[in-house]
Amino acid sequence: MEPREFSSASFSPIMPINSQPSRVLVVDDELLIRWSLGEALTAAGYTVVEGKDAAEARQALRDIDHRPDLVLLDYRLPDSDDLGLLTTIRREAPTVPVILMTAHGTAEVVRGALELGAYRVISKPFEVHDMASLVAEALAAR
Amino acid sequence: MSGVSHFKPDDEYSGLLRAIVESSDEAIIGKTLDGIIVSWNGGAQRTYGYTAAEAIGQSIALIIPPEHQAELERILGEIAQGRRVASYETVRITRDRRLLNVSLTISPIVDTAGCIVGASAIGRDITEAKRVEAALRASEERYRSIIDSAVDAILVIDRRGRVEAFNAAAERLFGYPAGEVLGKNVNLLMPQPYHGEHDVYMARYLATREKRIIGIGREVTGLRKDGTTFPVHLSVGEMTIDGETMFTGILHDLTARVALETQLREQAALTRLGEMAAVVAHEVKNPLTGIRGAVQIIGGRLPAGSRDAEVVKEIVARIDTLNDLMKDLLLFARPPQPRLAPVDPRPLLETVVGLARQDPGARAITIQVEGPSDTVMADAELLKLVVQNVLLNAVHAIAGPGLVRVVVQPVESMCRITVTDTGPGIPPEVREKLFTPFFTTKARGTGLGLSTARRFIEAQGGTIRIDCPPAGGTSVTIELPRSAPAAAV
Repeated sequence: MEPREFSSASFSPIMPINSQPSRVLVVDDELLIRWSLGEALTAAGYTVVEGKDAAEARQALRDIDHRPDLVLLDYRLPDSDDLGLLTTIRREAPTVPVILMTAHGTAEVVRGALELGAYRVISKPFEVHDMASLVAEALAAR
Repeated sequence: MSGVSHFKPDDEYSGLLRAIVESSDEAIIGKTLDGIIVSWNGGAQRTYGYTAAEAIGQSIALIIPPEHQAELERILGEIAQGRRVASYETVRITRDRRLLNVSLTISPIVDTAGCIVGASAIGRDITEAKRVEAALRASEERYRSIIDSAVDAILVIDRRGRVEAFNAAAERLFGYPAGEVLGKNVNLLMPQPYHGEHDVYMARYLATREKRIIGIGREVTGLRKDGTTFPVHLSVGEMTIDGETMFTGILHDLTARVALETQLREQAALTRLGEMAAVVAHEVKNPLTGIRGAVQIIGGRLPAGSRDAEVVKEIVARIDTLNDLMKDLLLFARPPQPRLAPVDPRPLLETVVGLARQDPGARAITIQVEGPSDTVMADAELLKLVVQNVLLNAVHAIAGPGLVRVVVQPVESMCRITVTDTGPGIPPEVREKLFTPFFTTKARGTGLGLSTARRFIEAQGGTIRIDCPPAGGTSVTIELPRSAPAAAV
């Protein structure tokens, strides 16, 4: 599946006027998570790009013209279940904040992710409506 | 007058008696009431070493060791009263100063006029018999002490199953003093169905000689006096004493081994459960997250306050319940490794109590924290979870107005935290299952709260127990090691 792109139809008060909406890459193998995050973030004024596995995530990050400004990354993907993908992202796009999502993050995973420079590690399930403000916070902290 | 000799004229009959006396192996001595020896047979000479010529005319004190001299007066006193002294065991001394154990029978001698004129003493050397008896006793003593000092219970039964011997370890193991078991059927020590079948087993063995346990040994169940049962290894040996078939049972208590095996099995099961839970948790939580998010997005598009919007809220609440269950399961199955650090339990308890006060069920309940500040070695996060769990149990148990007291009390090297509530207490049959995983009395509960609490507390080197004092309510006692003094750190 090619990464799909959602465009913001409305302006969000947290987005600076007259600038391109920030692009958020959502990587999760669970369709309903991608969809609900996509809906919530789009409603908040972001452009959302989806990836369902590590391969799609890497492809989206290589797209120089549409490089994401932030990545919401699931820890466990069909083709990645360690911190390898996070390491790659941090190395290739050190200015892009990454929020790691885990269904069962052990303390070691959380510590490891934060040491690699993840902006935040959040555990599933999370409040989908809180994600927009967390994304805004991470973008503002760049 | 039986046992009294009568002086007869020196006739033929008297000569016969003399011959009998003379030929006797026993020492037969005649003496006056003053104790002067007047006759002394061959047996006396062989026993005591003096010839008749040497002995006659002397006091009988001749053959009484100094420490027994008082006996003489007593015996002569009895004789003077016309009484016989029978089978009197004492010690006498020989011509060559050897001490002999003797059994004496001393009878009064009465003259034709009926007056007591002296005494006849018949003595038998029982030194050898005494020595054999002592040796036998020592040998028995030795075997008895071997059997009684044995760590394993040893009992002997006869062919009818009656208990003939029951050693000290058996007394400890079964809780019966030997006196209450000896002579009884050994099935007293077995629970059903063995209790009822043992006589049959024995009869079958005696009839067929087919060995099912003898010389083999197997794990069986014992029954204590207090009615409790326990695992025990039994080996049986057969022996014949005086033509009588007897069986010796040696019983080795397996309680500790079985407990250890159970513990190891439980640990292995918990490890597997932990691995399984981690997989299940991920497989469940991930879709739950998606469902929850998607339902919330869709719900947000429904008219606020509509029935549909309410249903969506309910769906989200149910999902949260499922998620809590997964969380409980994970906490129990994969408890985090505690990170111990010095913690003052006082402020920690205040914080948790503050949260508990906000529970809707706690409105009519006073929760108070008492006791001094202290320092324990604990993982503050895990300790919080445990106390929170215990407090919510207390609040739910009270179900109405009441009081919960949280008391901190240093007890030597441990810090004791007691949570006492004024609830209805816990029935005894529930009390013993409180820490069993998945056991719950709540309509909606995983039954993992207390078992998780115990895992957490034990992982921090502490203990947790629950009591229901006679005064009512429930009291949960947690003990954690106090922080080592700074010098030792």
